[in-house]
Amino acid sequence: MATYRARLARTGLAGLAALALLAGCARGEDAAEGGGSPEPADQGPSLRAADGETCTAEQYGVEPFDLAGSTVGFSQSEPEANPFRIAETASIREEAEARGIELIDTNAQGEFSRQISDVQDMIAQGVDLLIIAPLNSDGWEPVLADAAEQGIPIITVDRQINAEPCADYVAFLGSDFVEQGRRAADRMIEALGGEGQVAILLGAPGNNVTTERNQGFVDQIEAEAPGIEIVFEQTGNFSREEGQEVAEQLLQSNPDVDGIYAHNDEMGLGAITALQGAGREPGEVQIVTIDGTEGAVQAIIDGWMFAVIESNPRFGPLAFQAAEQFAAGEEIGVNLVIEDREYTQANAESDIANAY
Amino acid sequence: MARTPVTAAAVDVSRGGAAPAGASGAERISALAQRHGALVVLVAVVLVTSLSFDTFFTGYNLNRLAVNAAFLAIVALGMTFVIITGGIDLSVGSVFALGGVLAAWASQYGTLPALLVPVAAAGAIGLANGLLVARTRLAPFIVTLASMLGARGLMLAVSGEGNETYLVPQGSAFLELAQGGLFGIGYPVYLTLALFGLGGLLLRRTGFGQSVYAVGGNEDAAALMGVRVARTKLTVYLMSGLLAGFAGALNAAYLGSGVTILGFAMELDAIAAVVIGGTLLTGGLGYVSGSLVGVLLLKVIQNVINLIGSLSSSYQQVVSGLFLIAVVVAQTYLSRRRRIG
Repeated sequence: MATYRARLARTGLAGLAALALLAGCARGEDAAEGGGSPEPADQGPSLRAADGETCTAEQYGVEPFDLAGSTVGFSQSEPEANPFRIAETASIREEAEARGIELIDTNAQGEFSRQISDVQDMIAQGVDLLIIAPLNSDGWEPVLADAAEQGIPIITVDRQINAEPCADYVAFLGSDFVEQGRRAADRMIEALGGEGQVAILLGAPGNNVTTERNQGFVDQIEAEAPGIEIVFEQTGNFSREEGQEVAEQLLQSNPDVDGIYAHNDEMGLGAITALQGAGREPGEVQIVTIDGTEGAVQAIIDGWMFAVIESNPRFGPLAFQAAEQFAAGEEIGVNLVIEDREYTQANAESDIANAY
Repeated sequence: MARTPVTAAAVDVSRGGAAPAGASGAERISALAQRHGALVVLVAVVLVTSLSFDTFFTGYNLNRLAVNAAFLAIVALGMTFVIITGGIDLSVGSVFALGGVLAAWASQYGTLPALLVPVAAAGAIGLANGLLVARTRLAPFIVTLASMLGARGLMLAVSGEGNETYLVPQGSAFLELAQGGLFGIGYPVYLTLALFGLGGLLLRRTGFGQSVYAVGGNEDAAALMGVRVARTKLTVYLMSGLLAGFAGALNAAYLGSGVTILGFAMELDAIAAVVIGGTLLTGGLGYVSGSLVGVLLLKVIQNVINLIGSLSSSYQQVVSGLFLIAVVVAQTYLSRRRRIG
């Protein structure tokens, strides 16, 4: 029975490796490192805590253990149908393989009850640590209770779970969305020379990503560039089609708009289609978006986009580094921030290999 | 709605659970296969999985599988009655989500409101479905499609466009109802078994149950025999709504919150479970116990795919789909044989 499991695990790993290659990691995420990009993210991952709160295995109530040779479970929330999820899963798989850690991974395909039972499946299989990309922030009570009972530490990535850090779960690793908004504002100010009318294509409503990306942008514009006026704010629900639709309405109601800030690449790409449809030329309306997908970086090269702030989906190295330190009994921050790159006209061509 | 004529023999099989006296051996076997095919597959899958993976047949794993299956099972119970009458209820997923949000909201006022509010709202939707299907003779597909959208909209309205997640207060008895257990088995499992026991009795041992089979077998013939067709239909849609709302409330207690992104495509899972369990989608023939087996089979397949690990989780849907096709093909074949025989 044991050998059967081991064989399954081996074929599994081989399959995962093949998948990771197919998923575009063959593009060579690190190939551009020699390209002289000054971005801090290119100098290897570093664990940065957003605040002073920390956690140790002792505080969490588990015995320190050796992460190498242990089994880790990863629960992905959404189908791997968008670049972010593809890159996220691939990064976790690659890092586990590089560290020789047995990884069990599941995908809830966007169904919340399925994610609950997926994680319970992995608890039943006796994983030593869980990495969860939560579909929803609430509704985790049964999972947290089961994990606590078995003494399994949980690290959440990209979205948070509404619970007590270092008690119900260990730590959260994700982007600083407010900072992303601020950086987008800085690029927009640069693009417009501090003067002009800006429209915002908002993400899906009631989502902390949308709120924080907007808050960072609006605050920064108010503080740094009083000459810029935000004339239009409407949701494009993070989708390309809706982004295009809203941008079409924008061009009718505010034909003199100078800049568009989209909360993600997809809506920004939709806005470009709308501009093309209205017969506008590249650069007439400056666009800044967030995510860092290949299509958006290509749009910078083509002159349609001014800048793209990355939302880094490659949680693997940092998540396992945090897990390793925690397992070894060291102190780690409970709110960990992943570094995001930035693409502009200056580095789009040389760094497009980094886009996902 | 066009109905496949079902012979008296088929109706007898469904009532008595065995082939009628004088039936040939082949007929008896086909009746058994229809009735217990899913159970045989379930037992085989559980056996093979238990032998292959030592983490499958453990108290923790079996209990949480059963608890997770409980919510879908309760929904599938109501769906079984609807499908036996030849109808369909597409609104159950939305009603389930609405029930959960209402339960979490009402739980701040105590356990009784947390159960009554969602069940009342779900009952009202079920009643509306039933009235429209029974009195106006609109196609159940259209009626329940409309209420599926309506219930989802209502859920979004009470949760601030889905942004507000109501939390069930810690330490309330309502939480204990779904998170607690007895002898290592969660309360939802006992509740589900009790409901299925009642459902089975209702279907097999009462006049109402006979009307359900008769309406699904041949509506016009049933009406001629004096069966109250409209009332029977109204009752099954009401039951389906009530059960979906109750399952949603129970799920909210389990999760400790009124999660707003639940219940998408749940109606399809429920229908799949009912059909896998041997109930004819055309009506007139079916078993409550089969639906329970169907739900367990779907959940166990998901668990097995995760255990194998090297298979992408998308394959769960592929495997479930293949099962469904196999069962439907077998059903068509069996019922055709029976009609010819």
